[in-house]
Amino acid sequence: MPTSALISATVETALNKLLSLDDESKKRLKGLNGARLTAFVSPLPYGITLSFSDRIDVLIEQESFDDVVTSLGRQDCCIKTSMQTLPALKETSQLTRLIQQKQLFLEGELNIAQQVSGLFQQLDIDIEELLAKKTNDVVAHQSVKTAKAIHHKSTAAISSIARIFGNALVEEKKVAAHKLAVLHFSDEVNALRDSTERLDARLSAIEEKFK
Amino acid sequence: MSDNQTSATQVDNAAEQTTHFGFQQVDKGQKASLVANVFDSVAAKYDVMNDLMSMGVHRLWKRFTIDCSGVRAGNKVLDIAGGTGDLTAKFSRLVGPTGRVTLADINLSMLKVGRDKLRDRGLVSNIDYVQADAEALPFPDNHFDVVTMAFGLRNVTEKQNALNSIYRVLKPGGRLLVLEFSKPTSEQLSKIYDMYSFHILPKMGQLVANDADSYQYLAESIRMHPDQETLKGMFETAGFEQCDYQNLTGGIVALHRGYKF
Repeated sequence: MPTSALISATVETALNKLLSLDDESKKRLKGLNGARLTAFVSPLPYGITLSFSDRIDVLIEQESFDDVVTSLGRQDCCIKTSMQTLPALKETSQLTRLIQQKQLFLEGELNIAQQVSGLFQQLDIDIEELLAKKTNDVVAHQSVKTAKAIHHKSTAAISSIARIFGNALVEEKKVAAHKLAVLHFSDEVNALRDSTERLDARLSAIEEKFK
Repeated sequence: MSDNQTSATQVDNAAEQTTHFGFQQVDKGQKASLVANVFDSVAAKYDVMNDLMSMGVHRLWKRFTIDCSGVRAGNKVLDIAGGTGDLTAKFSRLVGPTGRVTLADINLSMLKVGRDKLRDRGLVSNIDYVQADAEALPFPDNHFDVVTMAFGLRNVTEKQNALNSIYRVLKPGGRLLVLEFSKPTSEQLSKIYDMYSFHILPKMGQLVANDADSYQYLAESIRMHPDQETLKGMFETAGFEQCDYQNLTGGIVALHRGYKF
C-alpha cells in the first residue's frame, strides 16, 4: 500500500473537514482559488502540495524543490524549511529574518503563503454549536464548560508541578543552576570573550609595530 | 512447401488472428465487443465493486498515480479508460479553469456513469467526454501534457498500438502513467492472491453485481496481462524514455511511467 498516498488522503480529509466547520472559511478559500502552495519540510522525505479550488487537494510531491521551483506558475508558492522553523512562520514579520538566515527558502508568490496561513489561523469553530446539533443545547453547553474547566485545571496543575519540580532541583537538591545564575554566568562568559578579543587585537597591533 | 511447413504457417496465421479474452483465445475482432459486454454489465456497480474488491485500496493507488503525474494548472490531461472518472475528478480541480481534462473510454455505459457522477459533483467546466478507442486516439499530435490509463490497458486488444497512439498525442516533455494489475513479487502473496481472485472475487461479483462471469474475466485478464518488465519494454518500443515502474501492494498493481522528449 502506498503509505504516502494514505498520509495525503488523511491530511486532505482532515483539512477539508476542519474548513467545513467554519462557514467563513469558504470566503477565504475563494480568494485562493487556483493557487498552489508546496512545502518541503525537513526531515519529511517528500514535499506536500496544497492545491486550492472549492476545496483543498493534498498531493505528495514526487519532484525536488528545485524542479518544482522551475515549473512554478503565476499563483504558485514553494517553501523549503525545517520542522523547527515552522512555528516561527506564524509571525509574518519574521519571514525576512528567516530567509536571510537561510532557515526558510521561499519562491513564487509570498502572498499565497500568507493567505494560506490566514485561512487556518482565522478558523473560528464553534464547538458548542456543533455539539448542540448532535445532542441538545444544555448537554452541549455543559460538556464544553466541563472540557474548558478540565483544560484550565490541568494546565494550572502542569505549570504548578513544573514549578515545584524546578524549585526542588534548584533550591533543595541543588542539582541544577538557578535561571538568574545561568544568565549571570552567560554575561560573565560574554565579558570574558570581549576582553580576550580586545587583548588579541592589542597583541596583533603590537606585533604589527615590531615587524 | 512440405505438409509440415504448410500446417506450421496455418498455425502461425491463426495465432496472429486471435488474442486472449481472459484464458480463452478469441478472434481479434471479437475481443472489443466481448470486453464491451463485460463493462456494459458491470458499469452500474463498478465503483461499489472496486471498493469492495480492493477494500478501498484502489483509491490510494489512484491517488499515488495523481501524485506522480506532476500535473500543473493549465495542463491538458487525457484520462484513457477513465471509466467512472475517479482520476478525472481530481485532475479537473488540479488543472483549474485554464486547463482541460478529457475523459475517454471505449465503453459508452462507463462514460455515461462517469459523466453523471462528475456532473453530480459539480465538475462541469473543464471536462470533455470522448468515446474513443485507445488504439486509435482521435486527437491531434503533441496535444496532451499528461496521459493516464488506470486499469484499462489489459482490456485493449493490441496494447502496443495503444501505447504508440498515446505517444503520438503526448506533447514533447509530457508523460504517460499506466496503472494496471501486475505480477506479485512474492510467491506467498501470489498464492493468496490467486485464491482470492479465482474463488472469492467471482462469488463477490455474483452477490453484488449479479455477474460472476465478468469478475471471472477480470481475474483471468489480470493473469494474461504482461508483467512489469515486459510492459516497460513495450513503453520503450513505443518511444517513451526514462521508463520506470513502481510496484504497489507487493506488485499486485504496478504504476508504469514514461516520458516523451
